[in-house]
Amino acid sequence: MRAVGTWGGEWLDSFGHAAKFIGRVMWGVYSGRVGKYFGEALRQAAILITGSTLIVLGLVFILGLECGIEGGYGAKAVGATSAAGAFTALCDLREVIPYAFGYMMAAKVGTGIVAELGSMRISDEIDALEVMGLDSVLYLGGTRLLGTWLVLPFIYAIAVVVGIFASYIAVVVQLGQVSAGGYLQLFWMFQTPLDFLFSAIKGMCMSTFVVLVGIYQGYFVTGGPVGVGRATAKSMVANIIGIHAIGLVGTQLFWGTNPRTPIGG
Amino acid sequence: MSIATAAASRVRVESQRANSLIGQVGEMVVLTRRTVVSALRPPYSYGPELTSQFLFGMRVAWFPMLIASLAFTYGPAGIQAAGFLDLFGALDRLGGLFALTVMREFAPLVCAIVMAGCVGTAICADLGARVIREEIDALQVLGIDPIKSLVVPRFLSLMVLTGLFDIYALLCGTFGGMLVTLSHSAPLGPFFATFFSNATVTEFGASLLKTTLFGAMIAIVCCYKGLNAKGGAEGVGRAVNQAVVVAFLMIGAIDYVFTQALLATHPELSSVR
Repeated sequence: MRAVGTWGGEWLDSFGHAAKFIGRVMWGVYSGRVGKYFGEALRQAAILITGSTLIVLGLVFILGLECGIEGGYGAKAVGATSAAGAFTALCDLREVIPYAFGYMMAAKVGTGIVAELGSMRISDEIDALEVMGLDSVLYLGGTRLLGTWLVLPFIYAIAVVVGIFASYIAVVVQLGQVSAGGYLQLFWMFQTPLDFLFSAIKGMCMSTFVVLVGIYQGYFVTGGPVGVGRATAKSMVANIIGIHAIGLVGTQLFWGTNPRTPIGG
Repeated sequence: MSIATAAASRVRVESQRANSLIGQVGEMVVLTRRTVVSALRPPYSYGPELTSQFLFGMRVAWFPMLIASLAFTYGPAGIQAAGFLDLFGALDRLGGLFALTVMREFAPLVCAIVMAGCVGTAICADLGARVIREEIDALQVLGIDPIKSLVVPRFLSLMVLTGLFDIYALLCGTFGGMLVTLSHSAPLGPFFATFFSNATVTEFGASLLKTTLFGAMIAIVCCYKGLNAKGGAEGVGRAVNQAVVVAFLMIGAIDYVFTQALLATHPELSSVR
């Protein structure tokens, strides 16, 4: 009983610690104080674009193909091969693209930030920043968050296009059981710009969560290079729980009571 | 430097990078072969380490697995499909849909993502730490084969564990389906009726086989990256980062090829009962 109490207490402690730190990072961006390091934020955005975009889009592409295959065979199973577009429209935009985006952001960007900030921490570079009079939370955390927010909406829009394209390839070109026109007609009927907005909100929330977890875990690394590795592994656990929780809440909130499909009334 | 030499040097750098990529894939294949041979050839001295790795994996992954499988089935397969079917007044068909989509796609995918993200990263960080503390070299000096004593137990435990967690994800997923059915205030009887009439042994066996393949791949990628961690402040963290990226991309690739091959070779799977 006491052990459980201590464990719960520790967990609450670390949760409060993380919340306080994340609040500090986010306030640094919201209040505009990060503006004085805007160049650094742009540099982080550039690193994100050149280093991670292709890999993130890669997973989105593969899972888009996946959606197309499932949709194609699923529609064939109910004897309505041309209905594959309805399935892939819901599958791609609403669920699989946000999840694939979140997974790869966690794997590439989140753990990358932990490894980078962690190695700065253990080689005392963060302390050196403080000594030089820079606000290290703002300079390292705030700029990364702002840089992510600057480019992510555009990367997300490209990801949606890539996922849709992959499903098109799988259903129309590879399985070849429905004509391009028939596929696209149902496909576009089953989504609206509002669905895209909801999907983007889900993807943005996941990516923001991932980046914040990365900054937190990396900033407070202890224990040398081994500690950096351990923190990187630990951040993935938090990311996986967070991504799925956000996905669940988002779906329930946006589509739980209103399926938003062009059927009936 | 003239433009021509600059271009030539750029080509050289590019080809070196490609070589190192192909070289890494090749080394992973070699590691797989050595691991399998070492696992099958006596003495079977890796029992205790296998048990402890198995328990470690279970302890790390059970909670993320619970959340992930519930969320991934309650959202995509549950809410989206149930909303769609409810418009046709055919909510009882949700069970059949669940038996297909969750068993075929969502449970294995979620299972692999969680295993790679939680257990694979931990394995990579652990092995990387041992490398930079020079424990692996010490083992070799003592005459102990690091492949047999470290890689084989992780490989086997991750294979079995991913397969077992697939069943766990399937159960959680079905629970998500039940929740959705109940939230539409529909009875559970038709859900289970269509669920069991659509579930096939082939599908279940394929699901287990796919997750076991995922487990083997995750173990090899993470052990390879961990054992090849560079020194320096960033070394182990960078190794974990690369391991999880490679593992996620490989999960997608294996999933695509496997599902495609399965559905094309077993047409009886795509018929509604």
